[in-house]
Amino acid sequence: MAPLAAGPVRAFPEISSEPGAPLRTTVQVHADERVFPGHYPGFPIFPGVCVVEQVRRSALATVPADAGKVIVRAIESTRFLSPVFPGDRLTVELTWSPRGEAWRCEAVAATERGRAATVRLRLVAAPEPSTSAEPHGTAPVAVDGPSTQERKAPC
Amino acid sequence: MLTISAIKKVLPHRYPMLLVDRVDELVPGERLVAVKAITCNEPWYQDLAEDAGDEEHAYPQTLLIESWCQAAGVLAAWDKPNPDVMSGQVMLFGSISDVVLHRPVLPGEVLQHRVRLVRALSDTVIFEGECLSDGETVMEVGRVVMAMRPAEELTGALPAAPAPVGAGAH
Repeated sequence: MAPLAAGPVRAFPEISSEPGAPLRTTVQVHADERVFPGHYPGFPIFPGVCVVEQVRRSALATVPADAGKVIVRAIESTRFLSPVFPGDRLTVELTWSPRGEAWRCEAVAATERGRAATVRLRLVAAPEPSTSAEPHGTAPVAVDGPSTQERKAPC
Repeated sequence: MLTISAIKKVLPHRYPMLLVDRVDELVPGERLVAVKAITCNEPWYQDLAEDAGDEEHAYPQTLLIESWCQAAGVLAAWDKPNPDVMSGQVMLFGSISDVVLHRPVLPGEVLQHRVRLVRALSDTVIFEGECLSDGETVMEVGRVVMAMRPAEELTGALPAAPAPVGAGAH
């Protein structure tokens, strides 16, 4: 399946929490991800921003129903706590809260060895899709498909 | 000006994760201006559907941040380059905060990363700045904290040899 947007990681997180329970996703860190040959040669480490990417995707897969379609406007904070390696399994726990017109999504990403990163995202309503091909429009456009769509790992 | 071969002497990142193309201005201990050209030849676009639109071709936000942070890494490591993550002192991400993403960036855009060194302690460096495309700010970076740590903190953290660590790699 072709991914809905360009991204640095092929695997997509899947929702692993039961309905009503705290939100959680899981995703495998496959050894054949494209980032590893260059990060770093001879010593593959899952880039910190790729942990943030999996948190971002987890957030977009768990958007509250009353938030509608949203995009990431800001990374309010990220703390990197321990490295992630090929073969690890990432678990992301997410908590959503409204912040005026915007939404905040707080997440903890962990491996079997403990917490890897804490991330706080700010998300805002996605603008109406534009049919224009103009690349320099000032309005941001969504970088992902509909948030309600279930994601599957393409690999 | 630093060309790509000079950047590779400072940063350990390599294809496809070397996301700084050129450094135009470098004032050690103070500031740096770097260039990153976005192209649809980057591997992140490989799997996109044939009918993918511009939205789907937006450069991944997290890689935009990575690219900016690598520019900051050049400024941080300029006077003590170590392109080997297996030995010596290596640069690790501590934290990133207040990054505002103003609009998507598309292939064909030539980005200018502006990095300012806010504070340098013995083993920690704090940066701020922004990313511009054709003079327009596409991303603001409030605060990035990088720490110089012995490489053993990474190599010792491998699952085969668990050890406590302080930060994740960038």
